[in-house]
Order: sequence, then structure tokens, then C-alpha cells
Amino acid sequence: MFSKGGLQLHINTPRETGFHKTTRNCLQHIREVLLHHRWQDAAEYMASYSQTLEDTTANMPQLYAEIIWRIGTEILHHHPNSTLEDYNSFYERVKHSGVKHYLKVCLEHSFHLLVNGQFEDAKLQLSIAESWRYGKQSAGQSQRIRLIQAYSGFLDYFIWCDKKATASNEYDAAVNQEMHSYFRQSSVNLKEIMKLPGVWDPFVLSYIDMLEFYNDHEGAVKVLNDYAYDDSFPPNPNAHVYLYRYMKKQNHPLKKLLKVLKILHTLVPSHELMPEYCSLLNEGDLQKALGVVLDLLDYSSWRSNLDVWNHLMNIIKRLRMKKQWLKIFAEEMGYRKDWWLAIHFSTFQARKDSAENRELLEVKSFVVGAFCPHCK
Amino acid sequence: MDEEQTGGYSDICGQCGEVNWGVSDEGRFYCRSCHNVIERTKEVVDTNTFMVGTSRVSSISKGTRRKKLEQGREWMVCEGFQFILKHQAEALLAMGVCPQFKDDVLCQFWRMYLQKSRQAYTKNPVHDGKFRLRSQGSGESDSAPESSVMSDSMMSASETDGDGDWASGGGSVSGHTSDGASSVCSGSIDAVSYLTPRQRRSQGLMSMPKTLALCHLALLWAREAITLADLLRFVNEGHIPYVNAYEDFPEEMKLYGRDSLIFRVESIPSYSHLHKEAQALAVFLELPLFPPITLDCLLHPSLLTLRYLTEANLPDELHDWVCRIMEKAGMESSVTFEPMRSRSPLPHYDVQAAALIIIAMKLLFKLDDHTEWDLSNDASDKNKENPDGNSFNLRWWYRTMQTALTTAARRQQDNIARKHWKPQKPLYTSKKDKSVVLKRRRIAEQLQLSFQKLSSSPVAPPSTPPSSFCFRWGEEGEEVWDGPSLHHLTLDSSVRQRGASLQPANPEYWHPALRACKPRFCKSHYAEVEVTLPRMYVWLLDLFSFLLGVKPGCVYEEVLKVERRFLGSSKSQPRARATPRKTQPKKLHKRKQTSKTCSR
Repeated sequence: MFSKGGLQLHINTPRETGFHKTTRNCLQHIREVLLHHRWQDAAEYMASYSQTLEDTTANMPQLYAEIIWRIGTEILHHHPNSTLEDYNSFYERVKHSGVKHYLKVCLEHSFHLLVNGQFEDAKLQLSIAESWRYGKQSAGQSQRIRLIQAYSGFLDYFIWCDKKATASNEYDAAVNQEMHSYFRQSSVNLKEIMKLPGVWDPFVLSYIDMLEFYNDHEGAVKVLNDYAYDDSFPPNPNAHVYLYRYMKKQNHPLKKLLKVLKILHTLVPSHELMPEYCSLLNEGDLQKALGVVLDLLDYSSWRSNLDVWNHLMNIIKRLRMKKQWLKIFAEEMGYRKDWWLAIHFSTFQARKDSAENRELLEVKSFVVGAFCPHCK
Repeated sequence: MDEEQTGGYSDICGQCGEVNWGVSDEGRFYCRSCHNVIERTKEVVDTNTFMVGTSRVSSISKGTRRKKLEQGREWMVCEGFQFILKHQAEALLAMGVCPQFKDDVLCQFWRMYLQKSRQAYTKNPVHDGKFRLRSQGSGESDSAPESSVMSDSMMSASETDGDGDWASGGGSVSGHTSDGASSVCSGSIDAVSYLTPRQRRSQGLMSMPKTLALCHLALLWAREAITLADLLRFVNEGHIPYVNAYEDFPEEMKLYGRDSLIFRVESIPSYSHLHKEAQALAVFLELPLFPPITLDCLLHPSLLTLRYLTEANLPDELHDWVCRIMEKAGMESSVTFEPMRSRSPLPHYDVQAAALIIIAMKLLFKLDDHTEWDLSNDASDKNKENPDGNSFNLRWWYRTMQTALTTAARRQQDNIARKHWKPQKPLYTSKKDKSVVLKRRRIAEQLQLSFQKLSSSPVAPPSTPPSSFCFRWGEEGEEVWDGPSLHHLTLDSSVRQRGASLQPANPEYWHPALRACKPRFCKSHYAEVEVTLPRMYVWLLDLFSFLLGVKPGCVYEEVLKVERRFLGSSKSQPRARATPRKTQPKKLHKRKQTSKTCSR
């Protein structure tokens, strides 16, 4: 009947001013209200919490500014009546509340506008941010400036796409001119960015798209090659995928394609392009093809794939006709021979296959027959 | 910013958040930081200055006259406190305090204080040396030295009556030196010397909490019903100016720099702190015996306990028992305050009344987590047998009280969370902080507006008018009520008729060890003792500490004090008295040596 904690009304952290007690309590209320998803009440408490920005204790307003920023955006995201106007005015105010997070807030603001399709406004925000300077540039700041630059270029690309869509309907010199200028702006920024090591997938794609439009194929291939083969960049299988796709589109020779796919194979043996690789190799090196297929089958996502098993069947059929096919088999199957049969040919699997996929069962039984003619 | 051209236009720029306006050649306003052009044009500004006659004059003459207004006049810190006290007194008068309180009591106390602390009305003021230096430079050196100039001016001020007194008292002081050498780091003249270590050590100087202490002493002298707990509650709710009280200073008194250390508050003092201040102040002022608190005065324990009984929804019949205890404990002798007698400290009128009620309840119900519930069972049985009967049932009272209490506690927490501490016009400690502080103020205000727009109630709810009571007990069906009123119930199930007088049905009484600790050696032992006390007793302490706004330990100590007098006096009394039989309590072996037996 009595709860010990029920009436503890006089808990004061020693030596806390009334002001700090108020803000501490306010934050506790905000937390509780947020956990219960009462967004309007949260906004009410936040109105009282804003006075923390005027705290005269050193360094505290910076922390409070960040708290207000994060909680405020959370409320705006979930509040039923929040409009884009509210977001805009909120971001503007928060930007000026603290110096250290100005760039971060600018980025977030422009992301928000980007996601809502307001490309021009997003670009405007980023250009304002680009021209902002305060004190000595810290390492974090310079990183953010790079990011701003990257997204600036990216946004130029989006606007360029829009212009392209309108320009394709009718020939309009002014619109074309604008389109070209956006292309130039974008490429300046993107080129700068891609010199830095990093993962720039969407930016690369947008750049390539633009270059393709202007028929600068060599430029595009160079960019992709740099992106894929630069050692200072982190290993990125997507880079090779983009390079391969582009080359295929531009009908590059088979040897080059195979080279790219080989690297992709070492990076990600279970990649979805591997069956394609395999079929390309079928013309040439059967052993390698066998290797690729067996690697694929090691992964559970490919284990029941009919295409892959078909490939295997074909390879076996063709390989059997050559001499020394046993030796080749032994080489490829080398370290697998203990477990390979058990994994792929269990009774459970067989029952499942016979229920779902009769064809697969047939192919598999052929393979088993080929591998060990004695055991049925 | 071009003040002259823009005529003091100080809205923020929508784009960059700065206030840095200029006027272009076409007469349009533009922001100097981001070149954002706005709609406002200069012609509009001119019309405005035309309409307000004085500002037009000032814009033509510009130069020195405007500068003087901006700088304001020189003022001293005690003038500031004078204004604050004046506003506080006016607020109290608006709440119903008698009008003599302001002029006859508080004003007199303030003058006595100024005299005692040698800030005025004296032949050797506290700031003597500094002003003499100044007068040599100003060439205004009249025959009389500064000290008598000041004291004469104050004396003349004291002869006038009424309101003019408060306002003019300040003006005359500042007239004497004006060579413009006022201290650069504060708006007032003497803030720097006010805060020197020597002054602080002497502890004579006024501070914001001391204003409240002075008000409390004045209220006590005027025998008004507002207790210290009430005063603090009104300050918390904002009915008496305290936080940001300096915002009501007249325009000419500019505050900045070191003044902020004196006038800015970020906490409301606690009850015990304020009590100590009041005591010290009374001794400092060497006040004589206060006007006696008699039975007709609302501060007297008999009437004050009645008020708290109503507040706590206890039956009126309990008041008789309270009076009997009061009589027994000989409270009459110590109800009036006499500062110069060291053995009679300033009484805690409110906590004392609460203590009396708690003792009465302990007497009737024992409050050891068992007896009171047995008695409640008896009462409810009696009520069932006799449907008209209205015996007071402790369990029912506890339930009603608990629900009301939790709601009120939650509301209080909410109010604490929403309280606004920061002023409209912020104080800054140095010139270079000024722009930062003003910018933060602007941004905080704007954020507040944008959040309010999103909240469910954009307008702040109207503040409740000040009231002496926290809870409202009434009949069902009333609009605002905290629970059914239990005042009319009788205590007949808890009392027995023995001979000529009533006796409590409960024959036992317990108490913790009563010997007082030496005052300087230990503070309250409540935190250690609390775990050994019965939960119902602790709940009761919490209830009254919530009602009064004090710590439970404070109420506990006061109960002990009253018990000392109440029980100690029984030793010298003859046997046939209406006191309960004090037997060895059987259940107290659970508690560690905190109980004592009293022989009759």
C-alpha cells in the first residue's frame, strides 16, 4: 500500500540551482513523453526547454543546442501537423544556435529538402554552407566540407536530370544552356571528390550517367577504372560491377570483361554475376569455369539454384570428353571431398527437391552419377 | 548597425539571424550580413518618428542628448534593492495584506537596515573613501563632504510621506557626482565595492534572498497570516516578484556587468536557508520584542492548526486535541519572537502547527502501522451498523488524501519542469558577452515560438490566482475538487469517555529518542532514522512536508521539539490528568534503541 518512492519530492542533487533542476526535470519529462509517442506534449516541454540555450555555464549551451536539435527533428518527423515550412524555420534557427554543428545541420537540412524533392532549395542551402567560415578549420569540419561538396555535385546532377527531361521535349536554347552549366558545375565537384579515397557509389553512377549522355566514353571508362583499381580506395566490389556493366554496354572485348570479372570473383565469389562469368568462361577455360561453379555452390543462396546446377551439368558433360578430366576434377574438388556430397545429397534435401523441384532432382542425380558411378 | 538611419529597427533577419540593418540608396532596408532586402522602407520609419513627438526631437538633435538617455543615470545597488522591495510589498498588498505593512513596517525596516549597514542615514557611510576621490576631480566639491550630502538628502527624503518617498530617495543620491567616471564594468556605481571580500565577510549587505527575509520579518511584525512557507510558495508561483525582479527597474537604471552577480537569481532559497537569514537579519537590526501573537492572530498555533486541519481534510474535532496538546506543551510562552534573547530563536510557526497536528494524530491513532488500521476497521463496522453514523475512518481518509497528493505532486513536478527562469532582457557580465547573450536570447525565443506552434496548447494556460490552500475538499458534483470533505466527521470511534473528559481509545504512545543533539555538532538525523519509523508516520511527515514545501526532516525535528515539551512536562504533573497512560510499548523491539519509556 505504501510505495517508498511514491512521495520523494525533495530529491535535490546537492548544489544544483533551481534553473538546473528545472531543466533536468524538463528533460526527464521529455524523455518519458517521447517514449510514449506523445508528440504534442513533447513540443510543449521543448518550448520550456529552449531556455537552456541561455545557460551561462561554460560549454553547456553547445550540448543543449545539440539536444534541442536532435529531439526537435524527432518531434517534427512524427508530429501529425508538421509542414515543410516548420522544418525550414526550425533548421534555420538551430543552425545559429551553435557554431560547432553549423555544417552538420546544413547537411541535414539539405538532405531533408532533397528527400522531399526540393532540389533547388537543397542546393541553395549547400551553397550557403560552402561559403561559411568560422575560425580555424578542424579535421571534422574539413570532412564535412568535403561531404557538402559531394552532395552539391550530386544535387547539380539531379537538377541536370530535371532539365534534361524538360529539354528533351522541345529544343530550347536557354534550357540547354542551363543544363550544360549544371553539368559543368557538377563535374567539377564530383571530380574533386573522387580523388579522395572512399565509397562514392551513387556519385560515380551519376557522373557516369552524365558523361555517357555527352558521349565521353573514354572519360567514363577512365573514371571507372580509377574507381575500381586505385589501391588507396577501400575494396569495393560495386566498383567492378559498374565497370563491367559499362564495358559490356560499350561492347568491350571479351578478354577485358573476363579480367574484371576475375577480380570480382576473388572479392565476392557468391556474386550474382558469377553465373554470367561462368557462361563466358565456358568458351575458354573449362577448369576455371568449374572452379567458379563449385565456389558458387558452396553458398547456401545458390545451393538450390537450377541454373547453377545446369551449368555444372554442362561443364561435366563437356569435361568428361577430355582426357585427364579426373585429374581436373580432383584438383577442383580437392579440399571439398569430405563434405561436398554430404551437403548436397542428403535424404532430406532429396525429399525436398522431389516435392518442389523435380528438374533439379534430375540434374543433381546426373551429377552424382558422374562423380561416383559406384554409389547410387 | 546604422542606428540613426534605421531608427532602431531591431527585428532579426530571416536569412542569417543577425541584427545588422542598413538603408540602401533607394531607402530600402537591407541586412548587412547577408544582403537580404526586406519590405520595410525608410519613409515608414520617418512617419513613425513623426508620430511619437519626443523621439523625433531626439533624432534631429542626436548626439549628446541621446547618448545620455542610453547611458542612463548613475545609481547605487541599494537603490536597486529598494525598488525590488517596493514591488514585493505592492504584490503583497495586492494579495490582501494590510496597507500599513508597506509604509509603516517594511519601509521602516529598510531604513533601519540602511542605517545599520551604513549605506545611508549615517555620518560615516560605507563607501566613503571612493566618493571623496571622485569629488576632487569633478570640481563640484561643496563645503559639505559627501557623507553629509548623502545623509541630508536621505533625511529630507524621509520627511516626505507615501509613495514619493520610495522613488525619490534614489534620485537625490545620484545627483552629486557626474563627471561620467561611473564604473565601466557595471551599471551601478558601487557594484564592484559591493562584492569585495571584505564586504562579503561582514555579511551585512543585502542580497536577493535577504529581501525575502526582510519581507518575512515585516509580515511577522504586522502579524499577518502569511507564513514563511506561504511566502516561498507565492514566490515559486510567481505572485511575488523575485526571479528577474530587476526587469521592473525604471529605464534609466541600466544593469550590466557586475550587477548581474548581485541581481540575477537562478534558485529560490529553501525554507531553512531563509529562516536562518531572517533570524540573522533580526539580530543585525537589533529589533525589540515583536508584537505579541495572541489568540486572535492567524499566526497563533490554535488558528494556524485549524487552517492546516482544513487543508489536510481532517475532522474539525481533532482541533480540540490539538489545543489540549498545545496547552500541555506550554506553547504560549514561546510564540512571540524576541530577537535579542538568544534562547528564543525565530519560531517556525507553520512547521510547529504541523507538528502539533501530527502529535495529535499519533496520540489518537498511535500510527505504528497496526493500531490505526484496527481502529479504522472498528470505525467502518460502526458505520455499517449505523448508516447515519459518520465516524472518521482513517483508511478512507488515507485513500482520499493519497490520490489527491499524488495528483498534486505530479502537477508540482510538471510546474517545476515548465518554469521559466530566463528574463526578457538578459544580463551580461562583460561587453564582449553582450552580442552572444543577446543572440542566444533571440534564438531561444524563436525556438520557443516554433515549438509552441506544434504543441497542443499554443497559449500558455492562465496562471491560477494565489490561494492559501493547496487542496479543495467539497461535496460531490462540484467542478474543481480534490475529494470529498471529511471535516464534519466525528471521532467517536477513536475516543472513549472516561470520567469527565474524553480519552483516546488508543492507550499507547511511542516516540524516538528525545534528547536534543548539540546544535553545532550534528544536523538532522532523519535520514538514518527514517528506515526504522513506521511507514504511516513517514507518510504523514511527507504529507505535511509537501503542503509546506519543506524537507520531511524539518517536520520530524519540529515534532521532536514539541514532544520534548509535551512529554517532558508530564513528569512534573500530578497523576490525575487527561493524558494517555504511557506503558512500555510492546512492539518497539523492532526499532533500534530509538524509543524511550516514560513513566507517568
